[in-house]
This record gives sequence, structure tokens and C-alpha cells, in this order.
Amino acid sequence: MYVRYLSWRFLLRRPINLIGVLGVMVGVGALIMILSIMSGFLEESRKTLRGSLSDVIIQPLNLPRTDGVQLPRSAEPILAALGADQRVAASCARLSWAGILIQAGWGADESEHQLKDPQGGDMAFAHFVGIDVEDEFATTELREALLREDEKRQTSYRIPVDDVDAPFARPQSFSGSEPWDWVVVGEQLARIRGLYKGSVINLVTVVPNARTDTVENCNRKFLVAGTFRSGENEVDLSRIYVDRRALSEFLGYSREFTQVLVKLEDYERDRETIEESLGASLYEQGLLHHVGSFEVRTWETFRGSLLGAIENERVLMGIMLGLIVLVAAFTIFAILMMMVTEKRRDIGILTALGATPRSVRSIFLMIGMWNALLGCTFGSTLGVLGALHIDGIEQWLSRTLGVQIFNREVYLFDHIPAVVSPVGVVAIVIGALVATALFSFVPAWNASRLHPIDALRAE
Amino acid sequence: MSHAMQQPLPLAGETILSARDVRKSFKVGDRQIEVLHGAHLELCKGERLCLMGSSGAGKSTFLHVLGLLEEPTEGEVLLEGQSAWHLNNRERAALRNRHIGFVFQAYHLLPDLSAVENVTLPARIAHSYGTLPFERARIEAEAEEMLGRFGLEDRIHHRPNQLSGGERQRVAIARALILGPQIVIADEPTGNLDTANGERVLDLLLSEQQSRGASLLLVTHDEQLALRCDRTLVMQDGQIMADSGVEIPH
Repeated sequence: MYVRYLSWRFLLRRPINLIGVLGVMVGVGALIMILSIMSGFLEESRKTLRGSLSDVIIQPLNLPRTDGVQLPRSAEPILAALGADQRVAASCARLSWAGILIQAGWGADESEHQLKDPQGGDMAFAHFVGIDVEDEFATTELREALLREDEKRQTSYRIPVDDVDAPFARPQSFSGSEPWDWVVVGEQLARIRGLYKGSVINLVTVVPNARTDTVENCNRKFLVAGTFRSGENEVDLSRIYVDRRALSEFLGYSREFTQVLVKLEDYERDRETIEESLGASLYEQGLLHHVGSFEVRTWETFRGSLLGAIENERVLMGIMLGLIVLVAAFTIFAILMMMVTEKRRDIGILTALGATPRSVRSIFLMIGMWNALLGCTFGSTLGVLGALHIDGIEQWLSRTLGVQIFNREVYLFDHIPAVVSPVGVVAIVIGALVATALFSFVPAWNASRLHPIDALRAE
Repeated sequence: MSHAMQQPLPLAGETILSARDVRKSFKVGDRQIEVLHGAHLELCKGERLCLMGSSGAGKSTFLHVLGLLEEPTEGEVLLEGQSAWHLNNRERAALRNRHIGFVFQAYHLLPDLSAVENVTLPARIAHSYGTLPFERARIEAEAEEMLGRFGLEDRIHHRPNQLSGGERQRVAIARALILGPQIVIADEPTGNLDTANGERVLDLLLSEQQSRGASLLLVTHDEQLALRCDRTLVMQDGQIMADSGVEIPH
């Protein structure tokens, strides 16, 4: 009982302990806040990266098989095979092709300027994705992306399509007579290029011809029917959805599809086995080039490098911030060493009054633990509150300092995500307590080893 | 030339603390220096025993051995017939807590605690051994009453650095007596005080010792002070050289 009493009194009477408390508080708070933000980044990234895809992506190689089996040109056999699979909820074919967007009319000058600028290549790139609307809506989240609004921005750049279920249909409000097909573009692309409903855009691309060993260029005008918002900046900046048949026709019918997206009935259940089993099944049916190859991938494997990079970053940040806690624990060690020297005489007095070396050790160990406990309590509270309100804090700091801290156009999302994991918070607190206990033990041990007479003689 | 006493003089009272052939040596560099060369002592219940001697005679070391703070190199210290240095750390610390009260020349109060908190500290420690239930209100009331009796009623919640030397020593005496120990060991209790304060502190110490029936082992250089004790031992070169053996009425 007196151990707790004296340790608390010694702690309160020495303001220097505040440094130890502050150190642990900052370390624990920063660790919780940063790891929560990194977890948020990871979770949001997973949602966003998954958003424009589906559970499984099938990308058959457009090469002849060595066993002479001819792969189908059309996606229909693969879609039929998938329709017969009990694990598959829906599937859709996509024709994905890269090209360049060049604006018509007054925007053409700007397009020319960007094409000439070696640093401005990003906006010249366009990623055409040909889709079958009904199948696409059943398999991916494109329908939600067409309806999604940016609540955080004061000015909306959304151009809603007239009919969500027929996004490539000619808008009723459009009075022009142009015969071109309609497309849906990413919201960021529309914002940056100043597109509006009915804008005319030129899409330019090349198609390799294997028979003649030449590359043929092709270009066509399209009209903007509206925008979509996937939340993934890269997609919103470059993707253009177009009807698959129209795109195939534009490409001279050289390809009908490039990938098939699959939505599973239970992704969590089948995620580990689906690549191998579905790959083998489709290969046996003569629909894939290789067995056990990368032609069938889950969306996590497909985006593996990006997810892995974020996870790596999270681990690295955890290690680096863990060092702050270690430094804080070392500060407590230094403070306790100083206290033991300063309190040599008190230790002698306590021994004369009947304290054992063990209880002297406990007193100093407990002072360290009070430091850690107070630091962890304040630090975890601030860390959790900071993580939960990081978006508001960042905006306030940006306004106050006049510096944009989080550039929403650089990242995949328009807010700073944070996910506070109670298990993570408990683990960080336990880690800080254990580190402090270890660092406090040495000075506490030294205190208990002091000879009472030497201690009493101390000035 | 004087000769060391081989055995203490026989005493009429019941012995509470005795030291037999106590030797103590310290290692200084490569040399072993013996400070106590077979010292004897017997302290009876309720007795006032004065230990005198010149500086460096070994009084303080002997006192620390008797107070169970310093382990003798050889010999035995018996508290109520029990060999104290054969006990383990915890048992010996508990024995020191309940049976011995210390009054030091330099007061040795804990600077972070108030006067009353310093006085109640031995009771808190005793509670940790289970030898005394710590009833905070009762112990604090007892400590406050004792401090009041010692003329410190206005100083109860003051810290040591807010007290004068005499006041600090009175707090130290209250702390030494709060658990009613059988032995009070006082190492030059008036050494840091002026004459008037020294007299007052000594009067207080002796009257409390007498009223409680505790034994007092007092180390001093002051011969006048020695006259107020029942018996005086003279220590020289780590040995007891003389024992007055005469009961002085008080």
C-alpha cells in the first residue's frame, strides 16, 4: 500500500516526470493516429481499388495454344461457362483499350499544347473501356459510380447521365444532330478538360495487325453523355466508358473483349481457391491459354502491388513510430536514474523505517509505470480523437497555415480515411507499458541495491 | 592504558537488545579495515543507555549494527533473544519497523511528505507486513495528537523544508515513537540544534521514552546529556572500553 502511496507522491512532487508522461503521450498518440490513418488508407484503398473491378478478373492471352485448341474470339463461351458455375453470381465482358483523347473545337488548342508538352502527358492518355451495360451493372459498381456525388466539394463537376440504366443513350435534352456514339467520362477528366454534356471528343488509338505486321491508327469522335465517379482518382482522371460493340467497331473488330469480370456469390469463402480452380476449369474447356497462370486473378492479386505497398508503408510507419515510444521509455529511464540519485537519502530513511529492498524497487518501478499509464491514457485518448477527426484537423491546419497538407487530387480519395482498431490501440498501450517496465527496471534495481547506510549518508 | 571489556556487566533488568562480540570490517581498496573489534552491549527494557566516544571510535557503525541496518562481519545481535541477522530480509525489515525507532542527527524526514505524513509512514509500512491494520483516520488522529503534544499543532501539514531544526527533530521523534517501539536509537539527536532547542528536544525524547517504557540507546558527545542516562558506555577504537554500570536516578 505504501509503495503505491509513495510512488504517487514522488511522481507528483517532481515536475520533470511530466517530460516522461509527455513523451509516452506523444509516442502512443502518434502511433495510434498514424496507424489508424494507414489502416484507413488500406481499407479505403481496398474499397476503391475493388470498386472499378469485381471479385475476379479473367484476362485470356490472345495467343494460339500449343495443343492446337483455338481460343474463342468472343466472350460468350467464357460467360456461358461462368454462368454454369455455382460460385459465380454474375459476370461481364469488357473491351479495354488505351488511347489519346483530343478535344474538338476550342479545346483542341489545349490538347495540342498538352501533346507537345513532355511533362503534360498524363492528360493526353485515355483508357477506353467498352462494356455491356446490363451485365456490367450486375457485376461491378458502375451504376453506383454514375449516381455518386462528391459531398465534400463545394462545387460539383458531376454531369449526370439522363438515364442511369441507359447511360450511352442520346440525352433527350440534346438538340444536336451529330451521329456519333455517346460515352461516359470520369468526373476528374471532365473537370480538368472542361467537358459538358454534349462535348465532342476525339479518341485516337492504334491497333496492331499481326497478319501484316503493321500498326494501324484509328480515330473517331464521341459525345459526352455524362460523368461517373469511382472515387479512384486514377480511374476518374483517365477512364472513358463506351458501349462495347461501338468500341469494337471503332477498333476495326480486331478484338471483341479483353477481360471478363466475375462477381462471386461468396468472395470471402472462395478467395483462396478461385484462381486455381476456375483457371483449371476454363483451361479444360479450351477458354484459356495456360493452366495455373495469371489469366485468372482475384482483384487483390490484380492490385497486389498497390495493396502491398500501402501495407508495407503501414508496417514501416509502425516501426518508426514505435521508436518514439522507445525514446519516451528511455526518457523515463533517464528520469528515474536521476530520481534514484536524488533520492538516495530517502531510500536510506525508508530502509531504516522498515522498507525492504524489494519494496524500494517497487516504488521506483511504479513511478515509471505511473508515467507510462498517464502517458498512455492521455496519448490513446488524443490519438483516437485525432484519428476520428483527422479530416477536420487537416482542413483547419491547412486553413490556418495556408498550406495544403493533404492534396485530394493526388490520392485515391477525397478525404483522409482513418480506421481505429480497438485491438491495435490495446496492443500499442500494452507495448508502451512493457517497454516502460523494462526501461524502469534498471533504475529500480539500482535503488534496491543501495546500501542503507550509504544512502543515509548521502547529501 | 585502558583495556577492552570482555563481557558486559551483569544487569538487573530484562535484556531486550544485546550484541555479542560484534566485529565489522570494510574493504577500502585492497585493504580490509576493521572498525569494530568485538564489541559487546546489553540493553535492558526501559533502560536509558548512553554510548560515548571520540569521532572515529566506531559508535555510528555499532549503532547501525544494533539498528539492524548494517550486518556484522562476525558476532551476533539478539533482539528479545532472537538472532536478528539469521532472519531473512523481509523478517528483519519487519522487526526493525515494529521494534526499533530511529532518531537521527540530520532528522532524515522525507521532504516530499508533510509532518503528519512522515509520522504515519511507519504505520503504512507496518500494514504492508500485516503486523498492523492501517486505519488511516485513527493513525492520522494519533499522529496529529502526538504532534500537538509536541507543540506542532500548527505545523501538521507543513513540509520539512517549512519547519525549523527543532521542529523537524520533534517530528522525527514522533515518527520514531508512533508504533510504540521497544527500542529507540538516537544518534546525536541534539547535534544540529542550539542549546535551547536541544534541551527541549531532549526533554521531549526522555519523557516520552519514560512514559512509554521504551529502551533508549543514545549516542552523544555531550557529557551533560550522558548524566541523564542510566548507564554510559565508552567506546574507543571499535571496542567498549568502559561501562559506568551505575544507575543514575532521574
